[in-house]
This record gives sequence, structure tokens and C-alpha cells, in this order.
Amino acid sequence: MSTIKNLHVSRATPSSRIAMSLGAIVLVGLVTMPWWATSGNIRWAIELCCYIAIAQMWNLLAGYAGLVSVGQQAFIGVSGYMLFVLAQNFGVNPFLAVPLSLIAPAILAVPTYFLLKRLDGPYFAIGTWVVAEAVRLGISNIDYLNAGAGLTLRVMTQYSQHEREVAFVILCALLLLTTIGGSYWLLRSRHGLALTAMRDNPKAAASQGVNVGKLRFYIFVAAAVGTGFAGSIYYMAQLRITPAAGFDPFWASMSIFIVMVGGIGAIEGAIIGALIYFFADRLFGEYGSAYLIVLGLLTLIIALYARGGVWGLLQKLGDHPWFPVRRKLIVEE
Amino acid sequence: MRTELTGDTPILSTHALTGGYGDFQALFGIDFHILPGEVVSLIGANGAGKSTFLKSVFGLLPVAREMVRYQGAPVGGTPAHRMVSQGVAMVPEGRRLFLGMTVEENMRVAIDNARLAEGQGEWTRDRLFDLFPILREKRRQPVEDLSGGQQQMVAISRALLCQPKVLLCDEISLGLAPKVIREIYAVVPEISAAGTAIVLVEQDVTLAREASNRLYCMLEGRITLTGASNDISRDDIAAAYFGASHAVV
Amino acid sequence: MQWFDAIIQGVLLGGMYAQYALGMALMFGVMRIVNIAHGDVMILLSLIAVSLAGVLPVGNVGLIVVIVPIAVAVGWVLQKFILNRVVGADPLPSLIATFGLSIALQNLMLEVWSADTRSLPNSGVASASFQIGPFYVGLLPVIVLICAFVLTGGLDAVLRWTRFGRGLRAAAADTEAAAMTGVDPKRIIGGMGSIWGAFLGAMVLGVAQAVGLRIDPGLGILFGHLVFLLVLATRPEGIMARKK
Repeated sequence: MSTIKNLHVSRATPSSRIAMSLGAIVLVGLVTMPWWATSGNIRWAIELCCYIAIAQMWNLLAGYAGLVSVGQQAFIGVSGYMLFVLAQNFGVNPFLAVPLSLIAPAILAVPTYFLLKRLDGPYFAIGTWVVAEAVRLGISNIDYLNAGAGLTLRVMTQYSQHEREVAFVILCALLLLTTIGGSYWLLRSRHGLALTAMRDNPKAAASQGVNVGKLRFYIFVAAAVGTGFAGSIYYMAQLRITPAAGFDPFWASMSIFIVMVGGIGAIEGAIIGALIYFFADRLFGEYGSAYLIVLGLLTLIIALYARGGVWGLLQKLGDHPWFPVRRKLIVEE
Repeated sequence: MRTELTGDTPILSTHALTGGYGDFQALFGIDFHILPGEVVSLIGANGAGKSTFLKSVFGLLPVAREMVRYQGAPVGGTPAHRMVSQGVAMVPEGRRLFLGMTVEENMRVAIDNARLAEGQGEWTRDRLFDLFPILREKRRQPVEDLSGGQQQMVAISRALLCQPKVLLCDEISLGLAPKVIREIYAVVPEISAAGTAIVLVEQDVTLAREASNRLYCMLEGRITLTGASNDISRDDIAAAYFGASHAVV
Repeated sequence: MQWFDAIIQGVLLGGMYAQYALGMALMFGVMRIVNIAHGDVMILLSLIAVSLAGVLPVGNVGLIVVIVPIAVAVGWVLQKFILNRVVGADPLPSLIATFGLSIALQNLMLEVWSADTRSLPNSGVASASFQIGPFYVGLLPVIVLICAFVLTGGLDAVLRWTRFGRGLRAAAADTEAAAMTGVDPKRIIGGMGSIWGAFLGAMVLGVAQAVGLRIDPGLGILFGHLVFLLVLATRPEGIMARKK
């Protein structure tokens, strides 16, 4: 009979070690891009990072907290506008203005949550859309923000292209670290178990002592800030923001598409979905509406037949998580 | 041709019934029967499997066809709405009234789907209003405006308007004041006098014994005791109710 | 006086919204599904009607007779192949499925009909108006308002007075309890919020937008949204909900 020599709890798996190493390489690759990649490629990378971050924040809301929002563009827009106002009208250094601009989504998220928290499911979703539209229409009527015509970030011309690119890749790396890394940290923390319990059954979770309301509130605000962070970077790279673009419901559509196709309720899902969406957009975007018909039908089919998305299908082939959140008992004999 | 059922032929019975929720087995071979017009109570502690048993019989949980027989024919797994049209009705735990609808509309839903038309069956709205006069007064009010006891009266009326031959009652005394419980249990004899067999699921042993002809006691998904309600001693019930290790109470 | 005119225009606008909202309210009330593609299906049917008008010489009223069976067929297909599969306690699948359908439909319509504005051949109804005292009122909006009123009343009567309607409301309140009372849950899926609530909500929205428009042309739609948020903040159970 063998004796148990050692027992320990582990979460790392071979697949996760590979994923972590790859992740580190990707981050280093990203930060060094200005020295090896073309400007066009850097613009692509910025866009992709923003998609991943926005989708991951939506995933946290819908996939874990059970808050289906179709109004995340509100936070993208206000954060972008805040950045433009700080940098252009108040003369704040634009790169410093990015973290400062996150105050706007945080402030907007609090009353939004308290207004909508009593609503369940579909009502909540409609409420978020109305809030986003109201903010868009409100900003379209403010002359100080140049109403419907929007703002231009002229102060960026004081930096050379190389300086801007270096700043952008660093911001993007921070964006990924805070959104992906932050979600991973959250899911591995003691709140992670509560979140998983909440996703599976909010009532049971509440009866087990999980403060569902409080946790939802924190996640809603955190997701607003994370989404706003991506919004600030995105519109800083665009150099222009208008109410129609900044508050485009397309942002919500994109998040839904990415997370559903990739796989809801998994960090891996948001990343896979964002990659699929990004490259599909590059390859087929030129087909315009025909491409969007396929995209729409794909979303429909996934909702009908494969709720776990691509990541769910991959999981069926074998359990190889990139971001393992479950604990595993290791017994050494 | 359906034979007329009288005397010792059960109207409803279960045979080695097993069941539960998904992977969780809650019932382990339940043999149960009830005769036409009989009042049988099913007692047991919380979690003994009483509600699971009723749901399994009523087609709300999956069971094998042969495990449940109604009027001699196997009916296990028949969906609830089909059971209703064959003559089995249920007063669910927690009343489960249709909120947003009036007292009378709640009754009308049952009448719409009953085994027999209102005039042809045993039960009519008028007869129930005579039985529960307060409901006549409140017939046009939404059910959420009623007290707990009045809501229970609506739930019982709704089930009776399905014109059942067997009525399954799941904890109809739960959460009600003693005075209200007496009022509600007072109608049990009238229901059984009308020829309807009644299964009373109860936690209150005294209440269950007084109201029934026979009783079954359940513990951890098994029948631990059965017999005529008057013949069984309190000690036997205590042993069956709490299990052997707790026999001395 | 111009405020009174704004209210009249708002009520007429509300009539149009009420027709839109009615289908939505029914679907949400019965199945607890928010059909994001509802508006797209409506536009699809309108576009089919416009295209048919060029082919069939039946006139605008005849067109309604043709389009209603098509609408029934589209609704049946939608119900059978999509909505029935996503009904459930979790609102996400239905939201996502109808969202995907909405994107697909919008772009399909763009492919088939292009983005140009289309209209039915003018039979005079659209531009006709009449005068009540000092106010000019369009004939078409009045017809729309009357239709909305009749449809809402008709639906309300069906839900209130028919066996089908009662079963529907029972199933919406508690599907399992409805099954226990003999309602076949497969035939009826799930009841009913307030039909008149949707009608009143549409009126409030229309009036808010018309009044907002009078204050500042840029504020019209925003006013509607603000009223919605105000209702959420003060009466989240809805305008018509009864206090417990």
C-alpha cells in the first residue's frame, strides 16, 4: 500500500503554463512593436487590444454577474469625451489624461447601476441602452462639446509618430493587464467562487452568504472603467470623437458577438472571439452587408445550438484551460 | 371498456416508485395506494420526499410508466395537464395562484381545462362560494390582495373546479394561523363525501391523523409506516417520523 | 396654444408607437422574451408591402389583406424555429438570438432593398388633413391612432374574456401551476403584462418627444428617453402597475 507523502492544492496546468508564457511573449512583443512593426500593424494591434478589453468587460458582466448590458458604449463615449476635454481644453498631457478620463465612466456607472439594479434580465438590458442613448443625445446637445460635430485631438501633433506609438503600445499593454489580468485575479480570488456560484444560481448564492447586490455593483463599476479605458485609448488613436461614433450601439453588438462566438463565461472565450472577429473583419469586411448577414446568422446559430461558443467546443475536445480558475488536489505517492 | 371502480380497487397507486431531481435520487421504491373517496395523509419531516412524491405522481418529475397507476392503467410520466384532464388535480405547495388575475379568473382557468364542464361535474363556483363565503365577496379582486388563508381557499377551489377524482394537497396548512387551518380542513369531509379521494401531505402529525382514514409516514425517501390513522400509536409515528435512532422522543 | 398643439401631435405620434409596442408587449408578457428583431420584422413586412404594391394592383387597403397572412407566416416561422428554442428563465439566449437575427435581417434588407426611402403610392390619405378649431390634424395619424386603440382593446378583450387568453395569462404568471390546472404549456408558452400599459407608455413617449421638439429641435428624442428613465426611477414596476 502506498503512502501519501505530500498533498497540495494546485491551479496551474500544463496548458496554463504554456498560455502564461505565450501571454508574456505577446506582451513583450506588443510593447516592442514600435521598433519592429509598421505603423499600420500598430494601429491594428491597438484596435485588437481595445476589442479584447471591451469584450472581456462585457463577458464579466453578462457571463458572471448576470448583468446583460447593451449600453456599454455609454462608458466608451464618456471616457473618450473626458479625455478630449482634459487634453484639448484643459491642457493636460494626453497620456496622463487617459487614466484621469476613467473618472467619467466610474461616475456615470454609479447612478446608472442604482437606477437599473431593480430591473431584471431583459428590462435591465433595455435600461442600459436607454441610458447610453440619453447620454449620447445629451452630449449631442452640448455646445461646449461641439454638439453633434464632435471634437478633434489637435494636441497630439506635438508628439512625433514614434513617441505616440511607444505611448500607445504601453497603454495597450496596461489595458490588457488590467482587463484580462484583473478578471483573472478576480476569478481566482475568494470572490471568484462567489461569482461562479452567482452565475450558476443567484438565489442559491445569496442564501449561501454571497452579497450578490454588492458584488454586482462592484463589477458593474469595474467593467465601466475597464470599457472606458479601452474607449479612451481607441479614440485617442482615432484623434477624433463624435457622439455618433463614441456612443455607437455597434460597440454593444460587437461585444455580444465576440463573447458569444468565443464563449461566454470564460476569459479564453473573449480572447478567441476578439481574434475571430478582428480577422474576419479584416478578411471579409469589404463584403459589407453580406458579411454582416453571416455574422448575424452565426450569432443566432450559436445562441440556438452552441451556447458555449468556440471555447465551449474546444473544451469538449479536452480540458486545457489557459486561465484555470478551479483548484485541483495534487496527491504525491 | 373501463370497469367501474368500487370497494377495494385503488383509484391511484404507485409501485416501487423511484425518482428525484436529475442525478439526485430522493425516492426509493414507494408503494402507495388510495381508494375512491378515501382520505389518506402522507406525513414526514422536511426533506423526507413528500413533495417529490406528489410531483412524481403528477407528472412534474420523470418516472417510469409502470410506477404510477390511475384507475388501473399505467400513467407514470403523463404530463400534468393530461393528468388534470383524466381527473387528478393538485393544490401545490405555496398555493401558486395566477397573480395579476382575479379570484374568479383563477377559477375560470381551471373550468376552461376541467375534465367535465362546470354544470356536469360535482363542483361549481356557486358551491365553492357557499363553502368559502369570503371568496364570493372577493371574486372580482386580484388574488394578491387576499390573505394567506383566502389564497389557500382559492387554490383549493381552483383544483376542485378541475372536477378531480383524486385531489393531491401539498402542505395546505403551511404558514397559516390555527383558526384558518381549522376552517380549511373543515371542508375535507365534504370533498371526500363528494366521492373525491384526497391525498394530504402534511408536516403536522396531529392534523394529518385527525383528517385522514389512513396514513403513510415517510423518512428519507422511503415509507416507514402505514396503517389506519386511528390504530397507529403516537410512539410508532415518532419512530417512523424521525427514524430508529430517534425512536424515543 | 402651441403646447396644446404639441400634445395633440404627441398623442398621434404615440398612436404609431403603440402599434409598435403592442407586439413587443405581448411577446414580452407571454414569453418573457425581448425580441430585439421585432422592429426589423416590422420593417421587413413594410418593405414587402411596398414591393408588392408595385406588382399587385389591389390598392393600399387590399395590400393589408395580402400582408397580414404573410405576417402570420413570418411570425409562425420565427416562433417555431427560433423563439421556442430560447424561451427560458435565462434572458440571455433569447436576447442574443434575436440580436443576431436583427443584424442579419437589417443587412439582408439593405442588400435586397438598398438604403433608399421607399413609400407606397400616394392615395391622398397620407397628406390629407382636417381642421379642428385652430388645429390642423393629419388624417393618416388619426387612422393610425384609431387602429392602435382598436388593436389594444381587441387584444385586451381576448386576454380577458377568452379561454385562450386566460390560459395565456395563467401560464405567464406561473407556467407550472398552469400545467397543474390543466393548461397545456406547449400550446401556450408562457401571460401578460399590461396591454394598456404599453398603450399609455407609447402615448407618454409620443407626447414627451413632441413637447421636447417644441422646446428645442435637438431635444425631442432625448425627452422621450428621459421620461423613460424617470419612470424607471420612480415607478420601476411600470406606469400601470398596481401598488401592492
